Amino acid sequence: MNGKFVVNGKQYQFNFNSDERLLFTLRNHGFKEVKNGCLEGECGACLILLNGKPVNSCQVFTASAIGKDIKTVKGIGNLHEPHVIQEAFVEAGAVQCGYCTPGMILATYALLQNKPKPSESEIKNALDGNLCRCTGYVKIIEAVKLAAERLNGVKENKALYGEK
Amino acid sequence: MKELNWYYPETLADTAKLVQQKNVFPHGGGTGLLLRKLSAVDGLIELSQLPLQRIKITGDFIEIGGICTYGDVISELMKTDPEHILVKCLHHSANTPLRNRITIGGSIAMFPPWSDLMGALIALDAEVKLLGKNSGDFPISEYIKDKNLHSESLITSVKIQNLPWRSAHYREIRTKSDMPIFNHTVLLKTADGRIDDSRLITVGTASKFTRLSEVEEYLMNRRIETINPSEIEKRVRLKFSGSRIDDPEYVNLKAGIELGRLIQKALRS
Repeated sequence: MNGKFVVNGKQYQFNFNSDERLLFTLRNHGFKEVKNGCLEGECGACLILLNGKPVNSCQVFTASAIGKDIKTVKGIGNLHEPHVIQEAFVEAGAVQCGYCTPGMILATYALLQNKPKPSESEIKNALDGNLCRCTGYVKIIEAVKLAAERLNGVKENKALYGEK
Repeated sequence: MKELNWYYPETLADTAKLVQQKNVFPHGGGTGLLLRKLSAVDGLIELSQLPLQRIKITGDFIEIGGICTYGDVISELMKTDPEHILVKCLHHSANTPLRNRITIGGSIAMFPPWSDLMGALIALDAEVKLLGKNSGDFPISEYIKDKNLHSESLITSVKIQNLPWRSAHYREIRTKSDMPIFNHTVLLKTADGRIDDSRLITVGTASKFTRLSEVEEYLMNRRIETINPSEIEKRVRLKFSGSRIDDPEYVNLKAGIELGRLIQKALRS
């Protein structure tokens, strides 16, 4: 099969098997930042945003995502221009082995889009599909709070100076 | 490997024809299909282009489209009734990314023993709308019992009465991400300090679900302050079986204790 997809704002045409999971299609086409974890939808290593919503790409048939908008962690920031959330994860020491980090960052991104000032329980709920076996989550939650503070600070400064 | 045919219908009329083809199945979120062997599947019908992702809330009814996800239901009901039993049931089900894929229609059709959804729908006397060979509206209890209704048919929506209940939900789990061994759904109506109506459903029993009629009878017209948890506990006689149940007697005991606690929680809601 083949189909068109929009990944990180760019259109692609992918070939894939009819029973293929989106995780493998993305990885086969170079999006290695989407990690292969449990293949059961439990760990969140393969998390992407599909039409803006966090989903486990291992739980999505590629054929069902044709024409849809996909965002991987590289779609929100890169080494030259890291996203505030990515910077916050590094600064808070929320990254150890790093395998869960792309999923954690995208789950945080989706959360902060909808809830710019989340409570701790809202953070825990939003990250309930992302497992980390290194950090114990304390630093991750701190990173989300730091990112939220900074993003809100940017917004508040813009509002103060009348910028959009 | 056998090639799967994917269909992308844009109308319900086309979908009704497709769903009646041999070995062709609807695809909503796909999480249930991924648990199955696909060797017996010739084709999948992708439903996302159909107008089935709507939630209609009127004064009397709530109608939920078949491909609404758990996440859709939670976010929509949170706007109007954050205490709704469906919010309580679905909020802790699976995890956030899975709740963005698991659909209401798929969950009803599959009804796994760990379902967090079905207890509430049974308690609420939901009605299922089908398209295809068995087009029509059916009480959910009939849909569960009659497997003929499942074949060559698609759940397009589920409808529940929009009534105010005191409610609570309990999941028997060891860790947060566990699929529950059983779960209780409690709906209560009270008037003048007494229980006026109750619906108590346990999902995960040997018969898939059980209505706790004996406890409902005990509660009927009872003054709230006279409700005795040990009287509830002794009226809970649930049968559990299956590979996930090591000790059915222990699970029944736990179910009785938790039901007593849950009724108190529902009364506080």
